[in-house]
Amino acid sequence: MKVRLTRLALLLALGACTEQATAPGVCPDFCPGGQIGVVDTIFTDMIERDTAFSGYVEAVGGEVMAVADVPGAVDSRAIFRMNAMPLVVVLHDTTTSPIIVDSARLRIEILHRDTNATSLWIKLYRLPLTIDSTTTFAQVIPPFTDSIVDSVNVNALLSAPLISDTATVRMWGDTIQTDSAGHVLLVGADSSLILYTDLDTAQARFVAADSGRVAYGVRVSADSANTIALGTADNGRGPRLTWFFNFLDSTSTAKDSSLSRGPIFDSFVFNPPTPPIDSNLAVGGVPAARSLLRVKIPALLRDSADVVRATLVMVPVGPVPGAPADSFTILARAVIADLGAKSPLSTNSQFFGTHRVHLNVADTLRMELTDLVRSWALDSTLTPALMLGQAPEAASYTQIRFYSTRAPAFRPTLHITFVRRYAFGAP
Amino acid sequence: MRRLFLLLLIAGLALAAPVLAQDSQFGIRGLGTPGRGESVRARTTGGAFAAFDPFSPLLDASVADVRRVTAGVTTGTSWRTVAFGTQSASLRVSRFPAFVLAGPISSKFVVMAGFSTYLDKSFGITTRDTIDIRGTPQAVRDEVTSDGGVSDLRIGLAARLHPRFAVGVALHGLTGSTRVTALRHFADSTTYRTSIARDEVAFHGLGGSASALLDLGADLRLAAWVRSDTHLRADIRGRTVSDDDLPFAFGGAVRWRPGTEAAVAAAVTWRSWSGGGLNAHDTFNWSLGTELGSPTSPVRFGVRGGQLAFGPGGKAPTEFGLSAGIGKQFSGGRGRLDFGIERLERKGTGLTERVWSFLLGLTVRP
Repeated sequence: MKVRLTRLALLLALGACTEQATAPGVCPDFCPGGQIGVVDTIFTDMIERDTAFSGYVEAVGGEVMAVADVPGAVDSRAIFRMNAMPLVVVLHDTTTSPIIVDSARLRIEILHRDTNATSLWIKLYRLPLTIDSTTTFAQVIPPFTDSIVDSVNVNALLSAPLISDTATVRMWGDTIQTDSAGHVLLVGADSSLILYTDLDTAQARFVAADSGRVAYGVRVSADSANTIALGTADNGRGPRLTWFFNFLDSTSTAKDSSLSRGPIFDSFVFNPPTPPIDSNLAVGGVPAARSLLRVKIPALLRDSADVVRATLVMVPVGPVPGAPADSFTILARAVIADLGAKSPLSTNSQFFGTHRVHLNVADTLRMELTDLVRSWALDSTLTPALMLGQAPEAASYTQIRFYSTRAPAFRPTLHITFVRRYAFGAP
Repeated sequence: MRRLFLLLLIAGLALAAPVLAQDSQFGIRGLGTPGRGESVRARTTGGAFAAFDPFSPLLDASVADVRRVTAGVTTGTSWRTVAFGTQSASLRVSRFPAFVLAGPISSKFVVMAGFSTYLDKSFGITTRDTIDIRGTPQAVRDEVTSDGGVSDLRIGLAARLHPRFAVGVALHGLTGSTRVTALRHFADSTTYRTSIARDEVAFHGLGGSASALLDLGADLRLAAWVRSDTHLRADIRGRTVSDDDLPFAFGGAVRWRPGTEAAVAAAVTWRSWSGGGLNAHDTFNWSLGTELGSPTSPVRFGVRGGQLAFGPGGKAPTEFGLSAGIGKQFSGGRGRLDFGIERLERKGTGLTERVWSFLLGLTVRP
């Protein structure tokens, strides 16, 4: 029995044998004859056609309101209109009591700012209720000239001491900084600034005929680097106006109450406006522009090579003017079907390409698109085209222009590194 | 219990069957590593008994004395150390190099069929380098692997024409494939993707062999064989990528039985591998072995030496080996198990290999 068990163990050990057949190669004597050869080439004609399209996202649909004042470059201002208020409080089924507004508090979120800015002033203006998505910069110049409501020095607030007593934290939810005018500043978890400004009945005029709707605009000024981005309703961080009022209850006793309203419209206007599309490729701006690049994959890359790196190279027509601290992202997405301006875009982020554009410099764009180009080379059923857009769109006055295929000396190219097909089969 | 043991044995052999591996680094730059065509019984005698062993797929005439349908399989596992100057590596592989099925069709003729490893083409190598891409040095690691080989499918006929003389002929179909992969990994894997190339190479060839056994007395037997193979064509997706000459080969052997429990044999072979492309050499090999003890449980010893078919430089690498083993009949002689161990040392320009092999063979006569 013992012998049999020994045999059994022997057989099982044999059956369970695993291989270790890989050894260091000492070339060329003890290596196969083939070579893994890397080739690095700029394909100047792989991008065979390109088109720029405009009108994708308007400023009213943007995720932020860009506010900047860069003399000689751009003047951009936020505009928003708050939702209507009920004029009465319902006490019973048909019994109502009119509200009497005594003040309001406006909350705005500053999502981006230049931390190098000094003496950054945010100025609040009362705007006409007629502002909408068709409002131009020129149309709001008068109210931005004579209807200032409030102003706050953000740097001064930031340098104020933190108030962290229990009562304050209970009321505001966090430590705050405040100034003599009653402005309150909180710093969000993502370093955004949340600014509260109290408005009296002259600053926040509650007009019953307008159902309590009010409209405001924001502009900035600073010693330098005056650019900020305000949150909008589209990303859930838009302005909010809290009305404080009182009313008589059923016993004719005055009661205090408040109600918060969000924006029904928020946008920004800027000057100079985005120029119309020309023969170059445009990305960004308002309304948002995109550029479609159509690629022709050479037979070499489909049959005889494996792409290991692919870089899109595009030459800008010139620097994008704006605040030096500003930048924006260009996002390249695969086109599922080439339908021109309405081409559906892939949502597979594995194939996205991104590039950060800094303002006032005209650096050549180099965007890594390795996974996307590899997918085109491996799968001939895919549409070899990509769409360049700003991310997020309509969140900035900035638009970049690149030379297109119609400018042979500066046309878009693909810089591709590939490995030639290995010569299997030969000793 | 015995039947269970047999079932387990067959299962073990089946598990080992799919794995084929390169016997030597010397074959990487050539057509591969030629198989031995020896059963465990022959292998443990250094190969000297291969010409007289019907279950070694070497000599067709040796099956002339098989009087009942019988099958024999061989398998083994090797532990190999390769040393390139200061570098070394340890490798472990399993093989299933031979299967022979034979049975009489008349009182004079015996047919045989089976397969054996003709060329083993399994290997894996890794190399490291730094290359310049886009003006920046990039560290890379390459892996080239090949898994598979060329099998020798044999169908033949043997006849004992005279009580002292037997002949055999066989047709050999050479066929097989390798799954090959070439990978390049970049150290900067966020910028550069790993390049992977895979393919399957199919091999085809033909050959023929003839052999004879002559008894000069009751104790002395001579064997001679000759074999000619044509070309080995390698195809990838229907396109021929190489066509290499295969060798003409011949050999002879002698066996002497000084008693009922002792036998000694010696063999020599010559193969013209030098037409097989770069790094190919003609080879001469010799072997000497003995089988002692009862035929039901013999003990075997052997020594072998000679040249390898492929290796860098103008001179063929050399090989020297020692082997030993035992056999055990069971079920009244209807089956036999053979165990063996072999130590090989191969030397060539820039490389020394040392191999330990454990061998297991099974012969069954239903």
